[in-house]
Amino acid sequence: MQFLTDTNIDFMRLRKPLGIFSTLLVVVALAYVFFIGHLNIGIDFAGGTQIALRFQEQPELDQLRDLLNQAGIESPQIQRYGVESKNEVLIRTATVAGSEEGSSAALLGALDAQFNAGQAAGFDLNREGPESLAALLLRLDPSGLNPIEGADNPYVTVADEIIDLRRDRGLITEWSEVQSLPGVSPEVASAVEQNSRLGSYAILSVENVGPQIGNELREKGVLAVLFSLIGMLIYIALRFELRFGVGAVVAIIHDVAITLGLYALIHYEFNLTTIAAFLTLIGYSVNDTVVVFDRVRENMDKVRKEPLRSVLNQSLNQTLTRTVMTSGTTLVAVATLYVLGGEVLKGFSFILMVGVIVGTYSSVFVASPVVLLWERWVHHRRAGSAG
Amino acid sequence: MSRGLVILAIVVVLGLSAYPPGEKINLGLDLRGGMHLVLQVETQDALKAEADQDMSRLIALLDSEAGVKGARGVLVENEGDGEDAAEDGAGALESSFRITGVSAANAAKVREVHGDFFNNSWDIARQGDDFLFTIKPPVARQIADQTVEQAMRNIRNRIDTYGVAEPVIQRQGFGGNANRIVVQLPGVDDPERVKALIKKTALLEFRLTHLPYDGQGAFPTREMLVETLKAENQGVIPPDIEILEGNALNELGEVAGTNYYAVARRPTVTGRDLKGARVSQNQFNEAVVNFTLTQEKGKDFGDVTGNNVGRGLAIVIDDHVLSAPRINSKISSDGMIEGNFSFEEATDLATALKSGALPASITTLEERTVGPSLGQDSIDQGLRAGMIGGGLVVLIMLVIYLLSGINAIFVLSLNVVFVFGALAAFGATLTLPGIAGIILTIGMAVDANVLIFERIREELRAGRTVKSAISAGFEKALSSILDANITTLIAALFLFNFGTGPIRGFAVTLSVGILASVFTAVFVSRWIFDLWLSRRQRLERLSI
Repeated sequence: MQFLTDTNIDFMRLRKPLGIFSTLLVVVALAYVFFIGHLNIGIDFAGGTQIALRFQEQPELDQLRDLLNQAGIESPQIQRYGVESKNEVLIRTATVAGSEEGSSAALLGALDAQFNAGQAAGFDLNREGPESLAALLLRLDPSGLNPIEGADNPYVTVADEIIDLRRDRGLITEWSEVQSLPGVSPEVASAVEQNSRLGSYAILSVENVGPQIGNELREKGVLAVLFSLIGMLIYIALRFELRFGVGAVVAIIHDVAITLGLYALIHYEFNLTTIAAFLTLIGYSVNDTVVVFDRVRENMDKVRKEPLRSVLNQSLNQTLTRTVMTSGTTLVAVATLYVLGGEVLKGFSFILMVGVIVGTYSSVFVASPVVLLWERWVHHRRAGSAG
Repeated sequence: MSRGLVILAIVVVLGLSAYPPGEKINLGLDLRGGMHLVLQVETQDALKAEADQDMSRLIALLDSEAGVKGARGVLVENEGDGEDAAEDGAGALESSFRITGVSAANAAKVREVHGDFFNNSWDIARQGDDFLFTIKPPVARQIADQTVEQAMRNIRNRIDTYGVAEPVIQRQGFGGNANRIVVQLPGVDDPERVKALIKKTALLEFRLTHLPYDGQGAFPTREMLVETLKAENQGVIPPDIEILEGNALNELGEVAGTNYYAVARRPTVTGRDLKGARVSQNQFNEAVVNFTLTQEKGKDFGDVTGNNVGRGLAIVIDDHVLSAPRINSKISSDGMIEGNFSFEEATDLATALKSGALPASITTLEERTVGPSLGQDSIDQGLRAGMIGGGLVVLIMLVIYLLSGINAIFVLSLNVVFVFGALAAFGATLTLPGIAGIILTIGMAVDANVLIFERIREELRAGRTVKSAISAGFEKALSSILDANITTLIAALFLFNFGTGPIRGFAVTLSVGILASVFTAVFVSRWIFDLWLSRRQRLERLSI
């Protein structure tokens, strides 16, 4: 199946209206990010603590908030996340002044006091790992195996099995779940039941970033993006000419600004992976733009005297099929990731998705017009100063 | 044909090195579950201890060597403490103390003693009537360095006994920041406990008690203790006595409040004198820690306890009195520490005692723990997205490019094998963003092929024969492919440089994916076309 062959669209004619449109979009996006709305800066850069929990029963968010306030944790951000049925909650607190350590201990302490209140302290089957469980079973020796000191722990396999169950479910809610495991004998099950407890929540993940590291990551992030932009500019200026480098960089800035604006609008968290996604976006956008420029260079070599405008048009038309194809396949891949890839990668894949669309648009409607503009401006100045 | 063999060889080698993927591919912590910590060793503690020690030594030497009495020493607090240190991170590697109370006549003797004993490590300066001793920078750096190394060994010991598989413990940072340690513990389920274990300074001391004399009395407030102490000592607190906070135990032996103890400043036994420590049970079936002293110290300890029957011996850990049992008879080398411990607490204490006290306190700068269920979810979702995404891309290629699309599919599968093979072969780590990177390269991998195919189509339309169209297509597309992919590689390079852990994983899979796709597009695609061509001598049409 062939399509889009021998097209002859005059892309350059649209450059003024589209140029205004694009500039407006960029301005609006940047204004939104920096003045109207704001980026949801994650703990990687702002510092702080973030804990994801899975509860046995759906907790009331307000109740949680009060509980944490009482424990001395100010303005925690609490939200539900993930699948509704799994009772998952995300809690985020800011950095504590004068401390690198963050609030995770205080937070968990407060939660324990409330949600595990009826339980005496002791082995929490929903918290501990297989090694600790195996050690516990070794001490209790419910199967009467009488192991010699120094020999391998015979309870390791059954401990692994029980903890694997918890890992699959996230949380063990009933003792019957343990009893019904194939490798677990009734003595072991009853020993476990009598000597441990089922905490009412499990910790999915804990992240704490102290202010020192937060500062460093901020710096590193900005530098990474800055340097990669400069790196691109240099490479393209060397391989092609300065005017193409300028076109590419303007296209990149355009893409990043608009994507950033949309990202802020949807309020996804801005973290390390976000910066990674933007760097990838830059890479992809340049990739796209370079293919067009490569064709321009080839066409310019073929026919020296052709005016730049028509060479640009011609090259754009010639590469149109490829542009649409590649963007199409990449978009399909990334969209699948966005839909199916899970909560953790949502923000990341969103940026890539938007980036592919905007990047394609900019390769066709931004990069080349800018090259033309630059050329005319430089030419104008040279003509002006010469004459 | 030979080209085909080379390609086949590469495929087989990479394919085998990645098979079975479950075992051969290194999974990152975000997929496997586990804990990532960035610790900072507060080297300032060690420098302060050094200053304290040398200060006491100097005063003692002034007395014994030069007959100068009445000198007093004061540690100088750095401005680098507190907030500045947190921002600066480099932490002022400074340490100084001031000597006062020396008459002008004895000033020269202070300089003499300094010159004889302290010139290697300390600079001396006169400040009015006082002397300021500042540690020399190279010495400070050396002490800081040793402290970090020792802390690292210590932490490694503790983690070893904890039984984590494949822990990673590395020093990080350079220059002023070389006091960081990165710890990665896969599969850890209880982050709080591990953190506590790592940070336990575990400074153990046994100190004879003054009040309560047999260790059994109650002084629930500090004021009460101070009053009684002063009353017994002409209204002052004797200089060789220190007041510590501790546990008050009820009749059942459970912790029921705080108690204050006046103990000797100098310890009878410290953690350094321990030969071993292990968990055991006492007669009430409570968890306790049994310890053994070194032979040399055991003798000393026997003498001290023998001379102090009836007195209390405070068991102090990190300046907190666990208990102060009465010495009933001479104790030689074995003993027991009871403290109403849970089994886990006793185990952790024994571990910390065995590995020795940390030379400096440890701050956690960064912590990331992913529970195993989250990790498993991520793997499942990532794989599913990858397969469905890949399937869709394949479908598109078939529809648009027909039979030549099969070529692209073959090439795509090859790319995936290459990426996994390279990951396994180089021992690189696969992270969640890394999986995203693989999916991204699947989407972009077709790019090189599309460039070539479109070029071939163009050449065909321009009227070339099939054979020369294929040739020209590959040739002309090459520069586009190279330029485009190099720029993406530049981005990946900065990503690798900037990122840590998960993002590095992404940069790696992205880079490998790009290299693989260029390789397969340029060589493998070509080879397939050539193979196909060689079978048909005269070709009129190409299914493309």
